[in-house]
Amino acid sequence: MAKRSVLGLYSEEDSAADALDNLREAGFEEGEYEILTGVPYPEGTFGEAEPEHKLYRWPLIGAACGFTIALLITAGTELAYPLITGGKPILSIPAMAIIMYEGSMLGAIIFTIIGIIFESRLPRIFMGAYSEKITEGHIGVTVTTEETRTDIAETALNKAGTDGEIIRGWE
Amino acid sequence: MVNDPGDRVLEPYVETDNSVETRKAVSDGLLGIHNITSNRFWQFAALFGIMFIFGIVGFVWKLSSGFDDKSTWGYYVAVFAFLMTTSSAAPMVAIAPRIANSHWRRPISRAAEIWTLAGCLNLILYIPLIWLLPSLENGRRSLWFYGQQEGVPAYSPHIWATLAIVGLVLLGLSLLWLSTLPDFAVLRDQGEGWKKKWGGKLALGWRGTSAQWNWQHHRMGVVGAFYFMMLVFVHFFISVEFLMVHVPGWIDSLYPITHAHNALQAGVATVMLTMFFLRQFGGYKDYIGLDQFWGLGKLLLALSLLWFWFWFSSFNVFWYGGKPSEQAVLELFVKGPYLYLFITIFILVFILPWFTMIWNPVRRSVWGPAILATSVLIGTLLDRIRLYVASWDVAGRSMAKELEMKMQDVPTKIQTPGYEDIFIMVGFIAGSILIFMLATRLIPAVNLWEQKEMLLYKAEIQFHRTKVTVMGKPR
Repeated sequence: MAKRSVLGLYSEEDSAADALDNLREAGFEEGEYEILTGVPYPEGTFGEAEPEHKLYRWPLIGAACGFTIALLITAGTELAYPLITGGKPILSIPAMAIIMYEGSMLGAIIFTIIGIIFESRLPRIFMGAYSEKITEGHIGVTVTTEETRTDIAETALNKAGTDGEIIRGWE
Repeated sequence: MVNDPGDRVLEPYVETDNSVETRKAVSDGLLGIHNITSNRFWQFAALFGIMFIFGIVGFVWKLSSGFDDKSTWGYYVAVFAFLMTTSSAAPMVAIAPRIANSHWRRPISRAAEIWTLAGCLNLILYIPLIWLLPSLENGRRSLWFYGQQEGVPAYSPHIWATLAIVGLVLLGLSLLWLSTLPDFAVLRDQGEGWKKKWGGKLALGWRGTSAQWNWQHHRMGVVGAFYFMMLVFVHFFISVEFLMVHVPGWIDSLYPITHAHNALQAGVATVMLTMFFLRQFGGYKDYIGLDQFWGLGKLLLALSLLWFWFWFSSFNVFWYGGKPSEQAVLELFVKGPYLYLFITIFILVFILPWFTMIWNPVRRSVWGPAILATSVLIGTLLDRIRLYVASWDVAGRSMAKELEMKMQDVPTKIQTPGYEDIFIMVGFIAGSILIFMLATRLIPAVNLWEQKEMLLYKAEIQFHRTKVTVMGKPR
């Protein structure tokens, strides 16, 4: 079924937090509603669930891949041409360290940038229910749900004292 | 709030100013400044544009002269190293204080980040250096165990240095994009004309959900940390591959990190001068205040003291060591033809900042730090000329295979720059400034969302019988 979104705007942080409480009471679940702000509020300001991030996954995987490739390049070269130089072991860390460091860095950077693009979920083609007042300073609470439940959502948002009309949009 | 006649606070009170109206006023105020482009701006942009055209002429002229005579390329490499030392290091002023959660950096972090765009120009300037840098087959000492370890490519420095510099530029662009994304949304919603149109395109549908803010905050932290690691690594490469290995006998494990330190010092000076111009001529007087000059001034003082520490540590080893090869290196860079240049650098980069910035009235002023930042930047440019011109002069004398340079091999005079060198130096420095200026027409030079965020953490509270401003910090 097509989903619709509704947006209530609030001037006060406490009103937005009340709106989230009302939505929970009305049976909406985390993931169905979101807070929209023009500034990064501390996590949990509105009583919303703190977003989970898998931040370190991308750079760590990238660094591991880069390190492995660099290790294979350097160790492979040394083992393919096993010449003992200056009495040093065939696999000499100092000769490998620079390439392994850069390999790890490049792997981490490439994966981080891919991760940024992937995780951002941008570009967002359809804005859904949105208001330009959010970047002015208002706090928005948006609910994305089945069309049949939008009335319940609107009631919950209005109960917290919205600043103006409820805004509706298609997802 | 109740005051007694002596202005003492008698009743507990807390006052914050985080209303919708205040947030809108901050946005409107900054957008109002951002939307104005004065005639003076375009006059300076035209001037820098003309200088940049001269730079491009010099660039083509230089390329047409070929890469055979290495000794004539010193000034070119010097200006590349200077731009890597200044514009590429400037974003550190945004990265480090942001990681440390300090509030004073908020009005200047965007200006520092915009300098990453000049990194693209550095990348163009770097491309000919791939052809200039000799392959390892010329027998020079290197990091790559070439000739000792079979299978090492003779173009290892070219490959790895290029990847590192490209990596740094990519990280810089990512950092700027992450930081600017919410401000593009403001331009989309509140902007006018072409800025609104481009804001809409570049905001990519940013709505400001908690998840988006969370993603942006953490990504900026990771990218910033990587930028710092890569910056140090790139300076390690530049100082080794384009400088030290061309001077037989210059063996100094401290120098690569000295080069990176110089970049931090010059990066702070670059941002200091940028914020001076933004304040005095950009209309941001109400946003960039003494706090910013004081904060950066302390950093500049500390980094200027470190400049001496790094230089003296290397110098001391060479001077006390007294080996003929070390004497020759000192003769080349300090005591010989570059003596007066060295003394000038010493005064501009260390003595002047040290003896002036220790005084609070100078540090807590607008003009003092700006003048000293200029001094540091001129000194750094001269320092890059001293080191790179001298080294490439030696590189042109085919001494690469020798383990040490003899005293009689030390050049007796400074290479004179050609017209094309002067064009490149003036043109590409002007080109970097031009890129910065043009970027500020689209990207707000003072970060909108960080300025509004500060309202969340600022409160005036009662402290016994007086009032104090309390700055909170997010978890």
